[in-house]
Amino acid sequence: MFQVLPQPIEDILRVLEYWDHILAGFLTTMELYGGAIVMGFFLGLLLALLRQYGGFIISRIATGYIEFIRGTPLLAQLFFIYFLPYSMNAILEAQGLFPIPIGKWSFQTDIIILDRIITYTIFDHRMLVGLLTLALNSAAYQAEYIRGAIKSVGTGQLLAAQSLGMSRLASIRHVVLPQALRRVIPAWSNEAAYLPKYTVVVFFIGVVDLFGKAHFIVANIFRTLTTYCIIALIFLALITIISKVLDFVHKRTSIPGL
Amino acid sequence: MLRIVDGWKSYGDLQVLKGVSFEVGEQEVKVIFGPSGSGKSTLLRCINMLDPLDKGEVHLREQNLMAPGINLNAIRARIGMVFQHFNLFAHLKAIDNVSIGLRQVKKLPKEEARAKALEMLNRVKMAEWVDHYPAQLSGGQQQRVGIARALSMEPDVILFDEPTSALDPELIGEVLQVMLDIAKSGTTMIVVTHEMGFARAVASEMLFLDNGVIVERGTPQHFFVSPKSERVKQFLKQLDILYGSHKELLKRSNEEESK
Ligand SMILES: Nc1ncnc2c1ncn2[C@@H]1O[C@H](COP(=O)(O)OP(=O)(O)O)[C@@H](O)[C@H]1O
Ligand SMILES: [Mg+2]
Repeated sequence: MFQVLPQPIEDILRVLEYWDHILAGFLTTMELYGGAIVMGFFLGLLLALLRQYGGFIISRIATGYIEFIRGTPLLAQLFFIYFLPYSMNAILEAQGLFPIPIGKWSFQTDIIILDRIITYTIFDHRMLVGLLTLALNSAAYQAEYIRGAIKSVGTGQLLAAQSLGMSRLASIRHVVLPQALRRVIPAWSNEAAYLPKYTVVVFFIGVVDLFGKAHFIVANIFRTLTTYCIIALIFLALITIISKVLDFVHKRTSIPGL
Repeated sequence: MLRIVDGWKSYGDLQVLKGVSFEVGEQEVKVIFGPSGSGKSTLLRCINMLDPLDKGEVHLREQNLMAPGINLNAIRARIGMVFQHFNLFAHLKAIDNVSIGLRQVKKLPKEEARAKALEMLNRVKMAEWVDHYPAQLSGGQQQRVGIARALSMEPDVILFDEPTSALDPELIGEVLQVMLDIAKSGTTMIVVTHEMGFARAVASEMLFLDNGVIVERGTPQHFFVSPKSERVKQFLKQLDILYGSHKELLKRSNEEESK
């Protein structure tokens, strides 16, 4: 018997039967997102500082990195990092050297909630490649936001700090950055809201994130539209919360009178 | 105490300072004035090594600041700077603007730094405003905090770069009053300003800088009574229009009318 009339409620319940998979996928997505945004922030901060204050050569290297990352597809970066160790192994083996043990290690854990056992892959080589790619990519974008904020603070602040006898580094650390990091929040929110959606590229290297789980559910019960709508709503909710939180942080950290 | 000998400075093709030499004695107040773009700000930045000279010497208490390997941070801690646009640290309260140098450079403990900063804010009559952020203060108040910040380091000399020229006219007085007070308390000062009343009150010598050269120097009396060069006369005439009794302005507009 073919399904003649749409049965939205039944379809939704049918998909939600897979809540344990959706939860595992969500955790994976969050792990990628959280890891990439944090690592990307620190690397981005470093890149921004090097680009802004690094002097002729170093600032050019930082600029080159940023432009390269922003100018090439994320998917290409992902594949590059994913396949790089395999290519290297071919060389290492030809030289009679010990190859990189790809995929030899993987940390999994069973999470038991209600009647379900969720086998969750905390970390494996695919996750590592995904995290690394997303962090290296996000860093370039975050660096540009941070640098914009640093520039907007102005050189007068740095001059004033140095005129007190503070070193350049101390001046940047205690005077420029506290202001730049406050100012960067609105622009940085863009990156924080984009990145969860970009994490889905890891699907292509076999990481089963929220998107991968959607694929899995569809393959099992063929509720394509319903499944992807639910996944989309989860992303929507996540990004709404992130935006609200960052708005709140921005208000709380704003400088009185400005 | 502070001596600059044959200072030269250029930015690219633009020669900004062309052999500037002068000396400031202990507790002396030196006023530098001259047209916009003549290199006054550059000269001050060269003195405290924020942007060192290309050629020439700067000596502070017989120490050659241009000597290679010298610790510039330590030198700058001994030379205070007050900026035209105040440059207060926007994210810090008035009190923290003043204590940050004491904490970060002099490494004073928190309480001691705070007490000292309060004392400095008191000196510039800003004790009531310690917990205000710069954006919550008027320009005159901000500049007084800026002066307190420079004073807090107990520098050998304080450089003022047009400290009142970004202020609304009614706020200039309070800043000049504070500057007069600290000048009279024996602080060595180099002041770039066009406030001739201030110069007359405390300057021991005035330098007229034009095009990177000290064109003329002398006491305030000398400049107000018998300036030598045409350039200075012309400039002072313009100042009289801007800052003076407006006699000149009235005279000119009368002349225009009678035409
Ligand atoms: N950092 C700089 N880079 C390039 N040119 C500069 C710089 N600082 C000042 N100048 C130039 O040097 C000249 C003198 O500037 P400045 O010392 O600010 O003059 P003043 O303070 O007397 O108005 C100006 O023509 C200005 O454009
Ligand atoms: Mg100037």
